[in-house]
Amino acid sequence: MDFVKYIDLLRKNMKTLKKVLIAYLVAVVIFDVVLPRDEAHAHYWIDKVFAFWTVFSVVGCFLLIKIGKGIAHLFLSKDEDYYG
Amino acid sequence: MDRWVHPAIFFFIGSLLLPFVKGKAKKFLILLIPVLSIIDVAIMQAGIYGSYQFLNINIVFGRVDKLSLVFAWVFVIMAFLGALYALHVKEDGHHVAGSFYIGSSLGAIFAGDYLTLFIFWEVMAFSSVFLVWYRKERRSIEAGFRYLLVHVFGGLLFFTGMMLYYYKTGNLVFDKIFPDHAGIAEYFILAGFSLNAAVLPLHAWLPDAYPEATVEGAVLMCAFTTKTAVYVLARGFPGFEILAILGTAMTVYGVFYAVIENDMRRVLAYHIISQVGYMVAGVGIGTELALNGACAHAFAHILYKALLFMGAGAVLFMAGTAKMSQLGGLYKYMPLTMIFYVVGAISISGFPLFSGFVSKSMIVASAHEKGRLMLMSWMNLAGIGTFLSVGLKVTYFTFFGKEAEIKPKEPPKNMLWAMGLTSALCFIIGVYPKVLYDLLPFPVEYHPYTLPHLSEMLQILSFTGLVFFLLVKKLQPEAKLNLDMDWFYRKGARVFMKLDERVISVVDSIWGELYRIVGLNLLFKNARISYGFDRKVIDGVVDGSATTVRGVGSIVRKLQTGRIQAYIGLSLFMFFLILWFVLRGM
Repeated sequence: MDFVKYIDLLRKNMKTLKKVLIAYLVAVVIFDVVLPRDEAHAHYWIDKVFAFWTVFSVVGCFLLIKIGKGIAHLFLSKDEDYYG
Repeated sequence: MDRWVHPAIFFFIGSLLLPFVKGKAKKFLILLIPVLSIIDVAIMQAGIYGSYQFLNINIVFGRVDKLSLVFAWVFVIMAFLGALYALHVKEDGHHVAGSFYIGSSLGAIFAGDYLTLFIFWEVMAFSSVFLVWYRKERRSIEAGFRYLLVHVFGGLLFFTGMMLYYYKTGNLVFDKIFPDHAGIAEYFILAGFSLNAAVLPLHAWLPDAYPEATVEGAVLMCAFTTKTAVYVLARGFPGFEILAILGTAMTVYGVFYAVIENDMRRVLAYHIISQVGYMVAGVGIGTELALNGACAHAFAHILYKALLFMGAGAVLFMAGTAKMSQLGGLYKYMPLTMIFYVVGAISISGFPLFSGFVSKSMIVASAHEKGRLMLMSWMNLAGIGTFLSVGLKVTYFTFFGKEAEIKPKEPPKNMLWAMGLTSALCFIIGVYPKVLYDLLPFPVEYHPYTLPHLSEMLQILSFTGLVFFLLVKKLQPEAKLNLDMDWFYRKGARVFMKLDERVISVVDSIWGELYRIVGLNLLFKNARISYGFDRKVIDGVVDGSATTVRGVGSIVRKLQTGRIQAYIGLSLFMFFLILWFVLRGM
């Protein structure tokens, strides 16, 4: 199927793909900075900080993985036949 | 239109005809049942139908308004998609259980009083458990019994609340309760409802049972039980602050487990807790926008969560396992399944142009509008976890990642069609949200496609993706089991059994001995005295009826076979008997 070929093509060109994706991430941040912030929608401080959700996502996602895996390894994870 | 046909009728009667038809006719009937119910809901007009007096209680089978209709719509659509997905299933019992489950869910959302609601509520639990048992594995049978026990407990909470409510008010009308007027009765009912909505800490039954259900059964289960609970919460308990807080806690709790779980279907099951959390929080916030959001999200969620369960089920069905530690590189072998799964994943994550974007955001916006920035931030954190677990982790480790030895084929055509249709619906709702918004209980002034909202979602999704690829090695699925609240009753039950062996049974045998020596002697003496009185005075009158009671007693004794299927069959029979008596009085 052609679709599978496209994915294989992308996987072969990982370096180019990475560059495109980084450019995209920069564009997302720029989009938030140039965005018009009218009074009608920006009630709270959270709405007025540039790229607030970028910082929130990076920190939030990092913590979610670290804390999740941390607690799992600390005491949540048991062998699969734990309950018998 | 004055006449109203309860859509549940099609499911109850239609499914009982299934064993009598064969081959293509059977498949036709399986699809015909939901099609008839869709037509029925489409021509339904708002109003109160099927109202009867029963033991001085006003019973209402059909309260049709915008709130019940939006749920009815998605239930019948889902019934069709679920039937299509399960078309290849040979066991009639599976279809019958599924139909009774869907029918009773419809019964519950149209019920106008607590008694009717309670009856359908219980039928839901007792019919859906068969969708777990039909997997026919030891783990499923055990999980099914736990599922049943927990739901019986929830039913008892509801029943206790209902009785207290009747004692307090003298009626059983199921309507909006104001937080200021709520007493112990209302909170018991709320607890019973919350258990079915998997509200913390009454949630562990869900990720325990759903991943053990049949491939086709899980698709139905993920849609109906929790969403019926969301409906009753939205109907009865809007504006309860505790729901706003617990709901938001659910959103994060669910994704937390979804991030660390290994089994695809268990990730999805935990993620239901997170998604239902948004709806519960919306009900708790209680504004028009929030309630609209809860309904819209329930509608969208049923479709994309079912789509995800269909995808994961297709992998399990073809590969024999849904454990990501054993999967990888499936995009080569199941590309269509992958596309459909990804559509579900980006819908649930809230990508622009897909359904989650237009539904979840209403609830987040309602928190924002009320200045509840903490709730809003936690919900967005859960949004990050959603994309991370269901969107990226499952997709990557199942369909990409390291290639595993398992090389499955695409699933049967009916499964692919069901997934394709559901994908199309997710896309249509995302691009043309008006079709969904027009069904909502309150007029919608909300616009999802604004620049700030687009920017917010693009940042959250894109940078979650970035962190995922930076930390992808950390997220490698592990063949482990993660403890949850079910530990208390799974391990607790063993403590109880030990207590029973060592303490209770000893006390019981001492008590039995004491009773035999002291109690029976007294009883015999007492009996002799009353016997004399009885023989002379009452005998003549009661003789006839005593014989009857003894006769009935021996029949009842014969019925107590100790087999669970006999009990369930009996309770279903009793249910129909009651229904017949009620309807006869029309």
